[in-house]
Amino acid sequence: MKPRLDPFKLLTTIPVIIYSFFLILLPLVYIFFISFFKSDNYGGFEISFSLKNYLEIFNPAYLKIFAVSIFIGLTTTLICLLIAYPFSIFLRDKSQKTQNLIIKLVMVPFLTNSLIRTYGWITLLRKNGVVNSSLLSLGIIDSPLNLMYNNFGVIVGMVYTLLPFMILPVYSAVSKVDQNYLDAAEDLGAGKLRRFFRVYLPLTLPGAFNGSLMVFIPAIGFFFISDILGGGKAMIIGNLIKNQFLTARNWPLGAALSIVLLVMTFGLVKLYEKIGGNLDELGGG
Amino acid sequence: MKLNEKTKFGIVGVLIILFVSIIFIIKNNNKENQFIGELNVLNWTSYIPEEIIQDFEKEEKIKVNYGTYSSNEELLAKVSSAAPGTYDLVFPSDYMVELMSARDLLEPLDLEKLPNKQNLNPLFLSQEYDTDNKFSLPFLLATTVLIYDSSKLDSLTSYRDLLKPELKNNVVLLDDQRVMIGAFLNAEGFDSSDFDDAHLEKAQNFYKKLKPNVKAFDSDSPKTFFITKEVDAGIVWNAEALLAKQENDNLKIVYPAEGFTLSMDNYVILKNAKNRDSAYKFINYLLRDDVSKRIVEEYPYISPNKSAENLSPDELYEILKNGTYIKNVGENIKKFDTFWANIK
Repeated sequence: MKPRLDPFKLLTTIPVIIYSFFLILLPLVYIFFISFFKSDNYGGFEISFSLKNYLEIFNPAYLKIFAVSIFIGLTTTLICLLIAYPFSIFLRDKSQKTQNLIIKLVMVPFLTNSLIRTYGWITLLRKNGVVNSSLLSLGIIDSPLNLMYNNFGVIVGMVYTLLPFMILPVYSAVSKVDQNYLDAAEDLGAGKLRRFFRVYLPLTLPGAFNGSLMVFIPAIGFFFISDILGGGKAMIIGNLIKNQFLTARNWPLGAALSIVLLVMTFGLVKLYEKIGGNLDELGGG
Repeated sequence: MKLNEKTKFGIVGVLIILFVSIIFIIKNNNKENQFIGELNVLNWTSYIPEEIIQDFEKEEKIKVNYGTYSSNEELLAKVSSAAPGTYDLVFPSDYMVELMSARDLLEPLDLEKLPNKQNLNPLFLSQEYDTDNKFSLPFLLATTVLIYDSSKLDSLTSYRDLLKPELKNNVVLLDDQRVMIGAFLNAEGFDSSDFDDAHLEKAQNFYKKLKPNVKAFDSDSPKTFFITKEVDAGIVWNAEALLAKQENDNLKIVYPAEGFTLSMDNYVILKNAKNRDSAYKFINYLLRDDVSKRIVEEYPYISPNKSAENLSPDELYEILKNGTYIKNVGENIKKFDTFWANIK
């Protein structure tokens, strides 16, 4: 059958195409070209072709930042997975009405700007904050704990901000697992843990990977969280890129770093496809 | 995805409403023509109180389109990537004035059009970055200072004092690589823009010793750390220190013995500015005694305006003598960037 040009589809897709072309594709192409240029040290660049910017990334100082970012990204992803699975399995047995309500609640934080929500954590985690003063007055601790301005604070902030991106795909995968498989496993004597590892996990792996992608990638780039809750002490790749554009006046290096990040992302998406993930579901479940 | 007619109808409805409101906003913007002129300003965040701009708009019937930036490099990026004439008036710091004039981005100032220039204290004129004030006039001076809580600490007079073991995890620093590396260089007895490798290495070692004491880097609002008693000492901008002191009387402010950074922000008019006359009017307005006073009441930096001075002449003289401006170091800026990446 010949595809028919539906005027409704046209009307709704044209804005998206225009948007993606001008605000996503063009800037990316621009960044790609700049990454081969030479910085003029004044925030501009001289047109030339060299791989110097890419080689510069191998500076030990920058590699250390990659390592720290990946550590923070992986820890965040793991914690999100550890929360999202029990949550989804628990939710799946509830009535449809409850499930819908709770999933809506998961999305409620999106109504507030994430920067403001991150500032909110300061009130909770700081030395004289809510958590420390409650623990002190209950006599559980003698002196305030260092809950922020370290990696702990950064990871708390990342998990908090990115958890919905893990819950949505994992929940969507878990709720699709056929009850018959679970019943069969139980009848054959599989305990809770065994059912999880032998039934849930293999069947929901693409969903988990989808969520992991959507948590890991922002987690290595969300510089505002490491600035606010980490006290700016730990740089992540996002900070490094931002600094190239805003303080070091080295756009080409910033562009090269962005391209590396993009290639990393692309590699992860390919891996996702390889383990059987559906690319359509990457759009958010 | 299958959509029923009702959903389709809804989506089309939303699109139409969006479209109409965009047209409405654009039209409405053009309609505000009780103004006789326009002015496009880019300035640092939190630098001129909103009411001052509104008063100026009312008085001169000039519409001020006010944008902000948070670093000199961001300003440079915005100015050089925008079409010429997009912005009229901007407020670069010392070294950026030099850099922008070298890149032919600035319009020489016609001082005749700024009669209120006479309100400026000559101490602040003809600085090293623009020796004859050809392109710039001073707007506000920021300096780095040491601040500490005197109820927790007996005294603090130098950067080296920040190494005291009782300050463990108790110091806040500015999240600004040039200024902080400058301070570490000062602490080791070098100039704040020294890019000699051996000297930078010493500065890096100074930071290594300081690191256990550093709780956080923050440039946005380091005063909060002192108001909430999160830390006992730090290196912050003078205005932040004064604002923190208003909330906590125990705080003491000192100029570090080894030297400190001066950062003078200046009025400059950009080359190809479309609204030059409006820009002159706005500068002249901000140079007025009463307006300058209102600005430093809200943001207590050091005003170069004689009547808005919040310091004695001796103090001023000492500050200008002992402080240093950041210099443009050209491609050596890379060394500062790797330094920063290294210590973080």
